[in-house]
Amino acid sequence: MSLLENMSPMKLCVPGERLCSTEDCIPGTGTYLRHGYIFASLAGYVLRKNEGEELPVISVVRETEAQLLPDVGAIVTCKVTSINPRFAKVHILYVGSTPLKDRFRGTIRREDVRATEKDKVETYKSFRPGDIVLAKVISLGDVQSNYLLTTAENELGVVVAHSEAGTQMVPISWCEMQCPRTHAKEFRKVARVQPEYLQA
Amino acid sequence: MDTVHARFKDKIGEVLLPGDVFSLSVPEGGDCIIKREKIICGPGLRRNGEEVQVCKSGILRHKQANLYWIDSQQRRYIPTKGESVIGIVTAKSGDIYKVDVGGSEQASLSYLAFEGATKRNRPNVQVGDLVYGQFTIANKDMEPELVCIDSCGRANGMGVFGADGLLFKVSLGLVRRLLAPQSEIVKDLEKIFPLETVVGLNGRVWVKAKTVQQTLIVANLLETCENMTSQQRQTLFKKVAEGSF
Repeated sequence: MSLLENMSPMKLCVPGERLCSTEDCIPGTGTYLRHGYIFASLAGYVLRKNEGEELPVISVVRETEAQLLPDVGAIVTCKVTSINPRFAKVHILYVGSTPLKDRFRGTIRREDVRATEKDKVETYKSFRPGDIVLAKVISLGDVQSNYLLTTAENELGVVVAHSEAGTQMVPISWCEMQCPRTHAKEFRKVARVQPEYLQA
Repeated sequence: MDTVHARFKDKIGEVLLPGDVFSLSVPEGGDCIIKREKIICGPGLRRNGEEVQVCKSGILRHKQANLYWIDSQQRRYIPTKGESVIGIVTAKSGDIYKVDVGGSEQASLSYLAFEGATKRNRPNVQVGDLVYGQFTIANKDMEPELVCIDSCGRANGMGVFGADGLLFKVSLGLVRRLLAPQSEIVKDLEKIFPLETVVGLNGRVWVKAKTVQQTLIVANLLETCENMTSQQRQTLFKKVAEGSF
């Protein structure tokens, strides 16, 4: 990996380990300052980077590549795992266009599926298990709960869905998709295709 | 002139197996013209591009004007929205009752889904009771939900029942025959002795007659008349009516 070439061999550390003093380095991510010394707050690898200022930046990372975490307001691509009359559970696969290494869990509540007529929403007519959905993060949630997502916009919703016969369906309106083989229509909350992705 | 209906017509009343296809495409180089007609595929038939495939084994039936379906014998019930079934209450948890309807999952029944039920006025439902209700949500991705109330808020015959009587299981085909508008089996049964029945589309039937012996006789009759022709059934019923008194 390219990161290893311009650095000394990686050292492992645990939370609470004293790394160095403030005179040697500037604290980065995964560290904190106490009594003039820099301590690690994560368990992982210690990275020392020369930023071009006087002191190098010391940080602790879990993996050598930085993980992009979903933030409030980010557009994420997720896959529906289970549905319930009150909400749909999803696995977040991509943040923007970056794939995630771990699958984070998200929830799309019934009232966050659409912007209008929120109480008439039926989860079974909006999503099905296995659909790929574009959603936006509205909250990071607590320790135990998942990310809260919403599809209450025209550009958010189901992007790829398979019919009961097994073939990929074609969207025909904002609330229906059709299977090209059996010609059966199914209800979904369909995302509007961005004009730049449409072929004339 | 060949029509699409002609392709189906020779097979009406015949036993078909899953995998049989009806091709709807025009044969190459033929003089025949296929008229564009609309066909409705019922249960057991599925369209696959240019052909109609059979998904279940059974007899092909036809109903005016253009409805075709496969009549199949099945004992296992799959919950479907809008069907009325008999369920057995298995557990009470918080606001809902868990009801066994004979499907792969237990259905949930909210305590507010009874006529005249409010948050203060809970219905009198115990574990082990029989309930007759309709499905509001029933699909392969979610847990089915039952209600004992119709869209206006009235019970309409649904709710808890079955203080006495006997509950037994029959095949789904027999249940559909019993629920048909002019059912011969029901008419013949009524002639033997007076009785009360509740028929659920999940294959469960509950009967109650004046005495325990009569109830058992009716239960046995219904279980055996499944595979009989109407002739045999009528002779059997006649024998029972004469022999029982």
